[in-house]
Amino acid sequence: MLVMILVPLLANLGTGIMNQLVTLFIYILLAQSWNIIGGYTGQINLGIAAFFGCSVMITHFMWVAGIPIIVSVLVASLSTIILAIIIGIPTLRLKGMYFAVGTLALAQAIQVIMQNIFNRSIQTRGDYVQAYNINWRYYLGLAIVVIVLVAVYFIRKSKLGIALVAIREDEQAAQVTGVNTFKYKVISLLISAFIAGLAGGVYAYFRLYFYYTSDIFGLTWTFSAIMAVVIGGAGTLLGPVFGSIFLVILGYIFSLTLGQANLIVFGFLFILVMLFMPQGLMGGVNLFRQWISTWSRKSHNETGENI
Amino acid sequence: MADAFQVLLIGVVVGALYGLVALGFGLIMRIMKFINIAQGSFIILGGFICYWLVTIWHFDPYLSIPIVMLAMFIVGLILYRLLFSPLLKYPQAEMRLDKSLLITFGVVWILDNLEILIWTPNSRSVIPSYGYGTINIFGASLSYTGIIGLGLAILAAAVLHIILTRTYFGKHVRAATEDAVAAGLSGVNVQRTYLISCGIAVALSGLAGTVIVTSYSVTPGGGMSWLLTAMVVVTLAGSDNMNFMIPAGIILGVIQSASTLFISPAYQQPIALIIFLIIILFRPQGLFSKRVRVH
Amino acid sequence: MLEISQLDIYYGDLQALWDISIAVEDGSIVTLVGSNGAGKSSIMKAISGQLKPKNGNIIFDNQNLNRLPPHRIVDLGICLVPEGRRLFPGMSILENLEVGASRKSARKNKNVTLSWIYEMFPLLKERASQLAGTLSGGEQQMLAIGRALMSNPKLLLIDEMSLGLSPIVVQELSRIIQEINKSRKITVLLVEQDVQLALSLSDKGYIIENGRIVGYGNSSELLCSPQVKSVYLGMEMDRTSQ
Repeated sequence: MLVMILVPLLANLGTGIMNQLVTLFIYILLAQSWNIIGGYTGQINLGIAAFFGCSVMITHFMWVAGIPIIVSVLVASLSTIILAIIIGIPTLRLKGMYFAVGTLALAQAIQVIMQNIFNRSIQTRGDYVQAYNINWRYYLGLAIVVIVLVAVYFIRKSKLGIALVAIREDEQAAQVTGVNTFKYKVISLLISAFIAGLAGGVYAYFRLYFYYTSDIFGLTWTFSAIMAVVIGGAGTLLGPVFGSIFLVILGYIFSLTLGQANLIVFGFLFILVMLFMPQGLMGGVNLFRQWISTWSRKSHNETGENI
Repeated sequence: MADAFQVLLIGVVVGALYGLVALGFGLIMRIMKFINIAQGSFIILGGFICYWLVTIWHFDPYLSIPIVMLAMFIVGLILYRLLFSPLLKYPQAEMRLDKSLLITFGVVWILDNLEILIWTPNSRSVIPSYGYGTINIFGASLSYTGIIGLGLAILAAAVLHIILTRTYFGKHVRAATEDAVAAGLSGVNVQRTYLISCGIAVALSGLAGTVIVTSYSVTPGGGMSWLLTAMVVVTLAGSDNMNFMIPAGIILGVIQSASTLFISPAYQQPIALIIFLIIILFRPQGLFSKRVRVH
Repeated sequence: MLEISQLDIYYGDLQALWDISIAVEDGSIVTLVGSNGAGKSSIMKAISGQLKPKNGNIIFDNQNLNRLPPHRIVDLGICLVPEGRRLFPGMSILENLEVGASRKSARKNKNVTLSWIYEMFPLLKERASQLAGTLSGGEQQMLAIGRALMSNPKLLLIDEMSLGLSPIVVQELSRIIQEINKSRKITVLLVEQDVQLALSLSDKGYIIENGRIVGYGNSSELLCSPQVKSVYLGMEMDRTSQ
């Protein structure tokens, strides 16, 4: 932890790596966002790009208007919640597919609307460009990531977290035991939207030019978030983190070697993981832990007992 | 008045196409409880196959349909074999829906980017030799390609209906849809039935692709928006009966088209979203479904 | 004809059946009786291919059924009338019957078999285009049996026929089962909660308790045996103690 804080202060890691790290933070946030609604609650959100993109826009315009970045990010994230309410209330009452369709439709609709309103690239004030210091982006990103991870940790252990997992495992059973599944699903979506909003805010701070609005509202973001979570392990605290690291590193390697084809490779990877390693990397870690504990127990007992 | 009629006509033609896409999507969803998000990408693929058949071998686009449909049928078989049949180990519908959603999302990714890589991100379209002609009905004009598209959509729906009600295969499909275990116990090879149904569903997307490439254009990545509309149509129709797909599609098409009288055509996608939200708020079982679903 | 030897059945990690051995001779009617949850239906599920045994073998006419999927087992000539009937509610009576004839060899004689079924169950003929979901319990059971018979089976498996049906209907169905056994030489394996009914209908019986076979023999002898009487009474006791 200390390493993460001190190293960039002391050493000059170079803009390349710093860029990657900030990108990593953004991915981690987006992945955690999807993880809340998709991993813990089991509701598949296909429109997370909409939350992300809106937050980017709002943060950008507020910041450019002179409002300090942190306030902009927070306000943008809160307004993302409004979007979540609009789409969540009708769709979360019904079976999962309606939610998936609804979010997908929302993402597409917003992309279309934005493309029509802003059909040119979006630029920033010159003085902001001059004052650009990657370290500020890094620390903002890091701080938000840490706060979010801590928050998710507490959510996981809380009554809310348990309810969400119950909903994911068997929604009917949860309902029957008196859990207000609708309320919890909505709360989950709002939290998810907020975190996605934070990711968008960091992005707006990080990237100063947006060439096309599809850059920020595009399906790529949704796919990256889902992929990071699935590869890392859905419904776990660190899964999205590992998945994002994996994604960023692999993405970097691929963009050097494969060019356009790297996206295709990710698609294959995604499918392979879904088919053969549905628990993701964290699943592997858990298996490993289990294996170690049974192995060490066996070497203590004469009669190794299976659980 | 002619304006309104023109709008209606456009709506019907586009709507029938929506219905055709919904037919393929709904088939997989209803029969096997899988969600095929890649249906849209398959449409684009079908369109591209048609495009190349026309451009390189100078086929008439409508004559290329059997080839396109056959190719897409095979794609459907592969899709089922590789990606859907492993999901059969989850007997609960919810898990199957979720997992298939995610997996086909990956397929979209692969297909779309592969198409961009191989064929560039440009749009393609195909104009048959008689394509620019239109006929005149009550002062509104309807293009030949539009009429043919409409006809093909209705024909496909009719053929599907006949298959489902009159053939052995169709009865196997319906039995497996109602109770897959009981169907197996009665001697139906459920896996093979699913396999062929998946092939048919993707072949339908190939058909839609040829209509789209002749009437509009295909662009890599453009499939999502067709898919979305298909999902809205399926929700509108209620997933009970395949027969209502085309009518529901037409209704959506007409509403969308009518909306262009008031707002810019660019905003038609959001209109579909709004309709979707309205339907699920007030009548989630769809317009035509008799059963009221308990949630 | 059917030989089950030393069958062990698990649901996941939970064992449900231990060392089950059952022999069914050609042309006979054999019954499995026992209280609720004893494991009788699990045996039927194993024979029909819905459950794969962990240990042991199911041999039918020298064919090992262990690894076969349900439709292949139907192809070999075994058909199950499932517990709860499991008809296709959105399809008509006729269509349900037609699906029953999915087995390739049954398709050829479909119309002949159909007229036989209609003869046995005139009600089904009358209402042939009615949706199966709208039928009463007894009618559904008739249709379920008819559907299974459409596959021209050599061995008919029936799982809990009498559940929820009135005595008159049950009597009629019993008569029909005996008739098809005699006239068409169709072997029947019957799982029944109603021990009295089961033993009076069958030639041989097996008693299953807690996943194990605790007795077997000729049905007529079993009917008189004190052990059966206690199981019968045991069933009543179980009900009150639950």
